[in-house]
Amino acid sequence: MKEIIKTGLILMIFTLVAGLALGLIYKITEKPIQDAELQNVLNAVEFVLTDNGNLMVDKDLISKKINESVSETEKEIFKTDKAAVLTPVLKFDFNDKTIYVLKAYGIGYGGKVITIASFIVQNGRIDLHAIKVIEYSQETPGLGAKIAEENSQERFYPIPYEGLENGVKVDKDAGKSNLDPEEAKKIGVVKISDVMTGATITPRAVANSIQAMFEYLKTEVVSNVE
Amino acid sequence: MSNRSWKEFSKGFIVENPTFVQALGMCPTLATTTSAKNGFGMGLAATAVLVMSNIVISLLRKTVPEKIRIPIFITIIASFVTIVDLLMHAYVYDLWKTLGLFIPLIVVNCIIMGRAEAFASKNNVWYSFLDGLGMGLGFTASLTLLGAVRELLGSGTLFDITIWGKAFNVFIMILPPGAYLTLGLLAAFFAFIGMKRKERGNNK
Repeated sequence: MKEIIKTGLILMIFTLVAGLALGLIYKITEKPIQDAELQNVLNAVEFVLTDNGNLMVDKDLISKKINESVSETEKEIFKTDKAAVLTPVLKFDFNDKTIYVLKAYGIGYGGKVITIASFIVQNGRIDLHAIKVIEYSQETPGLGAKIAEENSQERFYPIPYEGLENGVKVDKDAGKSNLDPEEAKKIGVVKISDVMTGATITPRAVANSIQAMFEYLKTEVVSNVE
Repeated sequence: MSNRSWKEFSKGFIVENPTFVQALGMCPTLATTTSAKNGFGMGLAATAVLVMSNIVISLLRKTVPEKIRIPIFITIIASFVTIVDLLMHAYVYDLWKTLGLFIPLIVVNCIIMGRAEAFASKNNVWYSFLDGLGMGLGFTASLTLLGAVRELLGSGTLFDITIWGKAFNVFIMILPPGAYLTLGLLAAFFAFIGMKRKERGNNK
C-alpha cells in the first residue's frame, strides 16, 4: 500500500511540474498565437479584396473591421448539409458595388477546412470575386494540404452568378474533368483534379463552403437578386 | 570533442541512422516527406523534442523509479511536444499549418521513446544531449533527403524552387506508394554503404 501511494505521489509530482511548465509556455505564446491567427485572417481578407494588384478597400478600414470582430464569439449563422457560414460578415462599399467578405467551413479529410471569400453584389447579381483557404491544418501534407497553394486556390475564382446558381462542384463530381479551368468556372465547375490529384475531399469542402456562402447571401442578405 | 563524444553524436547520421538503418519513426517519415521543406521542418521539430527529452530524462534517471519510468518518460516527451507545438503555432505559423497533425504525433514517434529508454536513461547528460542531437539531425537529414527526392520527381521542384517544373513529373512519388518506393531504395543504398564499410574493415 505504501509503495502504491509513493509511486502515485511521484507520478503526481511529475505531472504537476509538466502542467506548470505547459501553463507557463501557454501564457508566453498566447498573445503571439492570437496575433498569428489574426494576421492570417487579415492577410486573407486583404487578399480577397484585391483586384488586379490593388486593394479595393482602404487597408485601415479592413483592419478596423477585423479588430472589431475579434472580440465577438464565432457563431454559425447559416448551415447547409455540407457546410456552414460563420460570423463575422464584413460589408464594404466600393464605387457602386457592395462587397461582402464571408467565412465558412466544409468538412475535409481531417476536419474543418475554413475559407474566406469575397462576393461582389452589383445590379442584382452576386459574383464570387476571390477566395483564400485559411485553415487546412488537419489535411494530409502533399495531398489535401495542397489546397494551400496559390495555383490550387486560383481554380475556385472568379465564378460568375450563373455558375454559382448552378451549384459549385469540383470537376470530378460534375463529371467535367475535360474542361478548361476558365471555361469550367463559368458553369460553377472547379477544375482541380489536375493540380490536386488524389485529393478530392478537401477541394470539395471548399466548393461546399463557397456554395453555402452564396446561398446565405442570396437568401438572407441580398434581397434584390435577379 | 573526445572520441566517445564524437561517436555518440555521429552514429545517428549513417551507422545507426534512425530512418534508413533502424527503420524507426516510419509514420511521419512516410506521411510528411511530400516535399523537402516539410521533411526538414518535421525533422527539426522532432530533433528539438528529442534533444530536450534526452537531457531531462538523463538528468532524472537516478530519481525515476524503474516501475513507472515509461509513464514518466511519456509525460516528459508529451510536454515537450506540446511546447514545440505551441511555439511553432506562435512563431512559424505557415509551417505549423502545413505539418498539422503530425506535430502532436511526435509524442508517439518511436525514435524519441527509443532513445529515452535505450540511451538517455542510462547515460549522463552530455552524452544524452549528443545522442539526441545526432539522432535528431540524422532523422532530419533522412526526411529532407526523402522529401527532396519525392518533390523533385513528383513535382519538379526542390524546396519550392522550380527545377524542371512539369517537364518530368512522376505523380506517384508524392503519393503514399512513392514514399514506400523512395524509402525502400534509399534504405537499400544505406545498406549497401554499410556492407562496403564492413568489407573495407575486414580487408584491413
